[in-house]
Amino acid sequence: MVTVGLVANPVSAHDIRRVIANATSLQIADRANIVLRVLAGLAAAGVPAVAVMPDRKGITALLERNLARERRLGRSLPEVRILDMPVTSTVEDTLRATAAMVDAGVAAIVVLGGDGTHRAVVRRCGKVPVAGLSTGTNNAFPEMREPTITGLATGLYASGAVPAEEALLPNKVLEVSVNDGERTDLALVDVVVSSERFVGARALWRTGHLHHLFVTFADPEAIGMSAIAGLLRPVGRREPFGLRVVLDPTAASPTLRAPIAPGLIEPVAVSSAEPLRPDEAVAVAHRGGVVALDGEREIELRPDDRLTVTLRCDAFRSVDVPRCMRAAALRGLFHHQPNERGPDG
Amino acid sequence: MADNPFPLDRDRLLAAYRTMRTIREFEERLHVDFSRGDIPGFVHLYAGEEASATGIMMHLRPTDRIASTHRGHGHCIAKGVDPRAMMKEIYGRKGGSCEGKGGSMHIAELDVGMMGANGILGAGAPLACGAALAAKSRGQGDVAVSFVGDGASNQGMFLESLNLAAVWDLPAIFVVENNAYAESTSRTYGVAVESYVDRAGGFGIPGVSVDGTDFFAVYEAAGEIIDRARRGGGPALLECEMVRFFGHFEGDAQTYRAPGEQDDLREHRNCLTRFRAAVTETGVLSDAELDAVDAEARALIDEAVVQALAAPEPTPDDLLTDVYVSY
Repeated sequence: MVTVGLVANPVSAHDIRRVIANATSLQIADRANIVLRVLAGLAAAGVPAVAVMPDRKGITALLERNLARERRLGRSLPEVRILDMPVTSTVEDTLRATAAMVDAGVAAIVVLGGDGTHRAVVRRCGKVPVAGLSTGTNNAFPEMREPTITGLATGLYASGAVPAEEALLPNKVLEVSVNDGERTDLALVDVVVSSERFVGARALWRTGHLHHLFVTFADPEAIGMSAIAGLLRPVGRREPFGLRVVLDPTAASPTLRAPIAPGLIEPVAVSSAEPLRPDEAVAVAHRGGVVALDGEREIELRPDDRLTVTLRCDAFRSVDVPRCMRAAALRGLFHHQPNERGPDG
Repeated sequence: MADNPFPLDRDRLLAAYRTMRTIREFEERLHVDFSRGDIPGFVHLYAGEEASATGIMMHLRPTDRIASTHRGHGHCIAKGVDPRAMMKEIYGRKGGSCEGKGGSMHIAELDVGMMGANGILGAGAPLACGAALAAKSRGQGDVAVSFVGDGASNQGMFLESLNLAAVWDLPAIFVVENNAYAESTSRTYGVAVESYVDRAGGFGIPGVSVDGTDFFAVYEAAGEIIDRARRGGGPALLECEMVRFFGHFEGDAQTYRAPGEQDDLREHRNCLTRFRAAVTETGVLSDAELDAVDAEARALIDEAVVQALAAPEPTPDDLLTDVYVSY
């Protein structure tokens, strides 16, 4: 039976950016409704089963209640199975659930969250493609889109109606290594080295501490640290290189203003910007500090730690929703069939 | 001298550690003394939660007011109440914060802005709204902070206070100290949302969730929230995800916990050891300096207990004094 995985982070978008920059805080009921709309899309595309990451009393509790209601109303939805696993309400849940879904052979994984949630899924998803939905704060990787359509496109790929060549596209990542692999991690969009040396409230917003920025792609309409690169020199998601930017927090005058967080457009000074070639480990000359991955401080560096950043192309696949829907349209997959039940039954 | 990557200078880092260590020593000592039957009434210990009170209170002035909870010893110490007066109060002796007539759940010290621990769950929130309204009226940039546990955050008056603070745009900060248990009830049974930040959103105020066992996470987030309130930005909610090392109250058999849970918490989610590791690994403070603070804190608590035991108990003649306070 074709199964799609679904990872919905119940606690994304709860960090300090609500206070410093009026960022969105999506309510739990909204998140549960997004899941329902994804399920509707998946069902319409012929996906019979969905495996869902559990949480404490967040999305899944509401989802189970809502599913019972939807079934009473006679609406067609896939069979939903909540994974049986321990719940910690930390990123460990996402890592564990993704691994379980991969082991169970899901065809794709739909992800609700910000860049951080998507990053956690990509750490464990291997060759299973991801379909991203933005419910976080900085959402450079997942695009803003109606969840019904993401569900449809993912379902079309999962059920085999649209082949991988037309439904999926490769993505880049940045691999981060401290002391030759003593600690490793990755970022989907950006790696920033800041002279702050504590993880603290995690988000990154004080531009006076920023020294190095690496991006997989640089979109001028992105929000977050990658916006600095995007406004300097745009780089597409599929172009075979990234961008490395050296910042100068001591400069007398800024080079540009960039929307580094929702509602926060800050001046930054840039020393240099150059293409980042794939598979070349770039040593970052910086004593101490903190490394932020996709906008969140993650790794505290001691003064003698050695940091390298490496761009990898074709690191994981994602559902390209516009392309997949276009392929479905050209194939006439949504045309009404004579033997199909219409709206009136 | 190592360069300092933290948002506090050495003296402030030492002060933060001293406050957290003093709270821990205070609570560990009460745990022992209560089990001997030396202490009347009930005590609810704050051990494990020190980073929350300390990280928040380091941003407050004496004129800022706080409303505490039944688990209030840490809030009192971090706000500047003398631990010796607190110990006398808990032992029920004259010279205590309330002359020995209140006990653990009624410690108050208005001179330092501590409006009181509170035996009524959730009752601090409306008090903080009152203090915040006064602060707003005076216009001197003061704020009020209400602490509430994850269980008490289900109380109607807490939710009503969120609404009141929002509609009056008060400089009020609501801190949900989420230690995962409402007395013995796991939050998974009693709370309908994954994060208390979602509740703030329902009242149109921003909420932030941080790891409450990380002093620096609390300190940084609280600093932004408090500064915002001082500048007229209005109320906010701060959720500190934390742990308590002891039971709900002393004497709690804690059968609701998983086997080994407390040992695991002390090993992996101990805000004091986490703080010590951060400041010593970076070379900003030395183990010797922190050991000296440990010794100071122990000596202070020893002195507090000796003074408490030597102090007289209130007499029947004291019964009707201090009932009303003139402001």
